[in-house]
Amino acid sequence: MKSSFFMGIDIGVGTSKGVIINEEEEIVAYHILPSGFNYKLAAQKLLGELLGKAGLTMENLSYTVATGQGSPSVNFANEEVTDIVCCARGINKVFPSVRTVIDLGEQTSRVIHVDESGRVANFMISEKCAGGSGYILRVVANVLRVKLEDLGPLSLKSEKPVSFTTRCAVFAETEIVSMVAEGFQKEDIVAGIHKALADKIFDLINRIGLKEPCAIVGGGGCDTGFVKRLKEKLGKEILIPPQPQIIMALGAAIIGKKKFLSG
Amino acid sequence: MYFAGIDIGSTFTKVVVVDSNGNIVSKIEVPTRAEQRKLANKVMVEALNKSNLSLDEIAYIVATGYGRFNVPFADRQVTELTCHARGINSIFPSVKTAIDIGGQDSKGLKVKDGKLVNFVTNDKCAAGTGRFLEVMADLLNLKVEDLGKISLKSTKKVKISSICTVFARYEVMTKISENIPIEDVIAGLHYAIADRIIRMVSRIGIEPDVAVTGGVAKNVGVIRAIEDLLGYKVLVPEDPLITGALGAAIIGKNIVEEALKRGEVIKRGPRRLEEVTFYW
Repeated sequence: MKSSFFMGIDIGVGTSKGVIINEEEEIVAYHILPSGFNYKLAAQKLLGELLGKAGLTMENLSYTVATGQGSPSVNFANEEVTDIVCCARGINKVFPSVRTVIDLGEQTSRVIHVDESGRVANFMISEKCAGGSGYILRVVANVLRVKLEDLGPLSLKSEKPVSFTTRCAVFAETEIVSMVAEGFQKEDIVAGIHKALADKIFDLINRIGLKEPCAIVGGGGCDTGFVKRLKEKLGKEILIPPQPQIIMALGAAIIGKKKFLSG
Repeated sequence: MYFAGIDIGSTFTKVVVVDSNGNIVSKIEVPTRAEQRKLANKVMVEALNKSNLSLDEIAYIVATGYGRFNVPFADRQVTELTCHARGINSIFPSVKTAIDIGGQDSKGLKVKDGKLVNFVTNDKCAAGTGRFLEVMADLLNLKVEDLGKISLKSTKKVKISSICTVFARYEVMTKISENIPIEDVIAGLHYAIADRIIRMVSRIGIEPDVAVTGGVAKNVGVIRAIEDLLGYKVLVPEDPLITGALGAAIIGKNIVEEALKRGEVIKRGPRRLEEVTFYW
């Protein structure tokens, strides 16, 4: 019998992620690329590259679920599912014990309570302010001329993080420029931003409470500096999946598989 | 006798000199830069030259604004809220609610008999401040002072749903890529900032007459949006930037008048006006 494959596509504001799984829910291939300004184009490109990595064609795919901000642009998907549901499903696959998942995305931060069956029990979203999202990391990387992926290691070197008077991403940019002019070290500035962001996420977590154990996903999970500050603030351990960015796409693929098999 | 008020704001530094009747003798507006002390000296010298006065002829100098402690020749520092209340009362005595939209902050003031009775401020978030419009002008490659005029051509303003300046910027990029006329996008931005400010000032209650001051008050598009949302006309001073500096000068005048009435000696600061020509 021909084996079936299932695809999850997560078109985020910053990056687009795709995962293909088999019937055993094992990851066959995954791919990440920048979303750019045209979600449709990003989705098409992601599809091509992902299928290439997996060595599959469209015919091998039994069901595709799209999620994320740009999910309506995924015209080859069988269905759209909200990112919160996909996130809960995905983390439940990787860490079945996790009860709180923190997602730090480019534009939106979410805290989701997950039950033992991988369903959403409660959630809280912050999407109104760039100061509480991954965007602010892009700002600091840009001003300091540091690569986004280098922020974490740089931040870990800091012994005295600067403190910011503002939580606004726009005003923080100005403040960073003056700090550079005043001769502050890059690592202290980055660590300061990580701390400020951890404070904001901490506030968000407190609005629904923390149920242990907790995990972090999304681009923020890749930033070791931010994770360190959040751990300090929470006073708790935080689990990090091997690929924090693809958890929603994984969840989408699993949801697709369940839909397909249940007919 | 003459009195001076100097207001060092985040974006502009303003000086106003008034005579003993409270009439404006001269006024100066320059962009605020780093090294505010030197800037303060420079603008004070300019204001004195413009009014043909020497420093000794100024009976009292009051400094205000966030840079007020960087004015070495000031006799007293007074908060910008108090100065704004006094300034707006001297321009428009009928005003009960003053809205000031500055470069990096915005405030709402309730004024009664020239005194501040309640206020609300925002300096935490760029939305609802001049910075919001600066970011957008930069993105659209336009001058911030041209936004108002351009928006008047709009026939169908767009709805900007983001509050955050950063996210609104993304929204504007999307709208522009959808070929929506630029005037409709700008008009939408003016409503966004107007809405944000009105929501904030509503917390202390908006009571007419309402005046709008600060650099953003020069933007006719924002003023129209505020009037549309409030449902009535607002008052805008001929020169909306100098309200705080004018209030500071008038507060200085009152201090001197009170002291003279009581026969007291006027306590002045050290009045150090350093050599400034070197720096510019």
